[in-house]
Amino acid sequence: MSTDVMIYANDLSKSFGSFKAVDKISFEVRRGEVVGFLGPNGAGKSTTMRILTCFLAPTAGTARIKGFDVFDSSLDVRRSLGYLPQRAPLYLEMSVLEYLRFAADLRHLDQGTFNKRARSVVEVCGLAQVLGKEIRHLSHGYRQRVGLAQALIHDPPILILDEPTSDLDPNEKAEFLDYLRQIGKERTVLLSTHNLAEVEAACGRAIIVSRGRIVADGAIEEIRAKSGKVRRYTIAIQEAVNGESYQGKGEPPKSAEVLAALKGVTGAKSVAVVPTDDKKTTTYELTTERSNDLRPELFRLIVDKGWVLLELHRDTQKLEDVFRDLTIGDERRNRVVGGGKGKKAAPAEPEEDEDDEEEDEDEENS
Amino acid sequence: MKESTATADLALDQESRRAETQQHGTQNNILIIALRELRAYFDSLVAYVVLGGSLLALGIVFFLWQGGGFWDVDRATMSSMFRFLPWALTTVVIPLITMRALAEEKRSGTLELLITLPVTDADVILGKYLAALAMLVILLVATLAYPIAIFVWPWHLGALDWGPVWAGYFGLFLYGGAGIAVGMLYSSITESQIIAFFMTAGTLLFLHVIGGLVQYVEGLPGDIIAFLSFASRYEPFERGLIDTRAVVYFLSIAVICLLVAFRSLESRKWS
Repeated sequence: MSTDVMIYANDLSKSFGSFKAVDKISFEVRRGEVVGFLGPNGAGKSTTMRILTCFLAPTAGTARIKGFDVFDSSLDVRRSLGYLPQRAPLYLEMSVLEYLRFAADLRHLDQGTFNKRARSVVEVCGLAQVLGKEIRHLSHGYRQRVGLAQALIHDPPILILDEPTSDLDPNEKAEFLDYLRQIGKERTVLLSTHNLAEVEAACGRAIIVSRGRIVADGAIEEIRAKSGKVRRYTIAIQEAVNGESYQGKGEPPKSAEVLAALKGVTGAKSVAVVPTDDKKTTTYELTTERSNDLRPELFRLIVDKGWVLLELHRDTQKLEDVFRDLTIGDERRNRVVGGGKGKKAAPAEPEEDEDDEEEDEDEENS
Repeated sequence: MKESTATADLALDQESRRAETQQHGTQNNILIIALRELRAYFDSLVAYVVLGGSLLALGIVFFLWQGGGFWDVDRATMSSMFRFLPWALTTVVIPLITMRALAEEKRSGTLELLITLPVTDADVILGKYLAALAMLVILLVATLAYPIAIFVWPWHLGALDWGPVWAGYFGLFLYGGAGIAVGMLYSSITESQIIAFFMTAGTLLFLHVIGGLVQYVEGLPGDIIAFLSFASRYEPFERGLIDTRAVVYFLSIAVICLLVAFRSLESRKWS
């Protein structure tokens, strides 16, 4: 069974100076798994991937790819991997075909294999139109496709993809995720992303990291079930009329009035106005930690007030909510100068610097 | 069952492939990287600036700059070229062809893709070094146009003694090889091409000009300067002599600088 473990990380840590980018991360990824690696910016996703791909050495802990230690058998590790770094940094002066040729040469693919594989990756990544073009003339989306193509050129058993979809348009994303699902059956894929919908679409399992630690690891359903506390209700109330007759009792209500009434509902934890561009209708979002259905009570309240209810629905727990719950400390830390009320009163200065750097990287990208 | 044999086959296959790559892989990788780099020189302006600029400057040296002009000198010698070329190498050529090597790759992030391919750090350094060296050789071969044009065809200004010319070229090659290693070193420790350029030019220029101090400084300091100076090491070649100690000196500089560059590339892992 142990031969089935393709990616193995045990107590992996990486510090940059006093900043712990990765803090004792342990996980395993088996053959046939497509795993989403999730976390806010600066949570340590890229650093972990760079350790797994032998670009960085861990400060402590071990990592093995297909049984090869990233430190002792680094060449074997890199032979078994296809890796797409963040932002697909390619040689701009080369043409797409030249680049693929270059990557294949360094992987010692012979001409026949290269032809076969190149045809396949060109088809998969949709590069037929741009093969002869210089990479500098390609859009970011196409560059990312080229990056993917070079990661796939040797048909690797393991793929490590750092934000592979960040520059793709929605159609490309859907196609790519489809493809991942296909190849993921016999291969092992670890991909990082901020986009939770993608993880839900393509991955069977998610690992959520925050501040260098793993905060959740499991099947998507498990993770979703794990923090089932917060429930959301969306309520839309008509608050103005434009000439037409108002169907409610008396005058349309003011937002403040509605807010106050909604806050009075038993179990309501927070009530907020959802910004929309609809002038006549105001949409509210009510969250609660209670598991019982609040819709009857909300309906009763609105009818009693004589308001016009245009919409009322309850959201099932979204992965977004789980993600927010699990990683909320990161964002708070970013906003409060000096580390603030985060769980740990950490030495704030160097941490902040590192975070900023990570974010800058991301921003350049967009 | 079927699957397990397939896996075994695959494992065997990989085993043989690995044995194979361990034999040929490294040289191959160095060559593949070197060829890519060389192409990059010609895809950018660098190669043309270096070649065109150097040849043009040499022409000026020959025909305008040399007091009274080249045609008035009665000796069949190329010494003015061998006096001039080190200056061109230190101030422009070597900094230009080495500044991009690693600095640009680090800045743009392409290094990450290159290094996560199955290549060693040494492959990367040596491949890039080889490419810059090839650029130097192309330049030196191009400058052969001058002695040929002047002494063989179309003009025949006298019988040129080719011995000193080859010695001079050999000296320039060694000089350039050491200089390029210095450039690689700077390129490996910064992300800025500009800084790499000026640090390289500055260091090489310094090592070249301190040679001029030798005659004024006596005793131990003078010896140290003579020992370190590229110019005093190169001087015998300029006169047509091959000095073994200079050969060893230039080679040592190249090896040491490349080792430092290698360490500096490796240090990304630990920082």
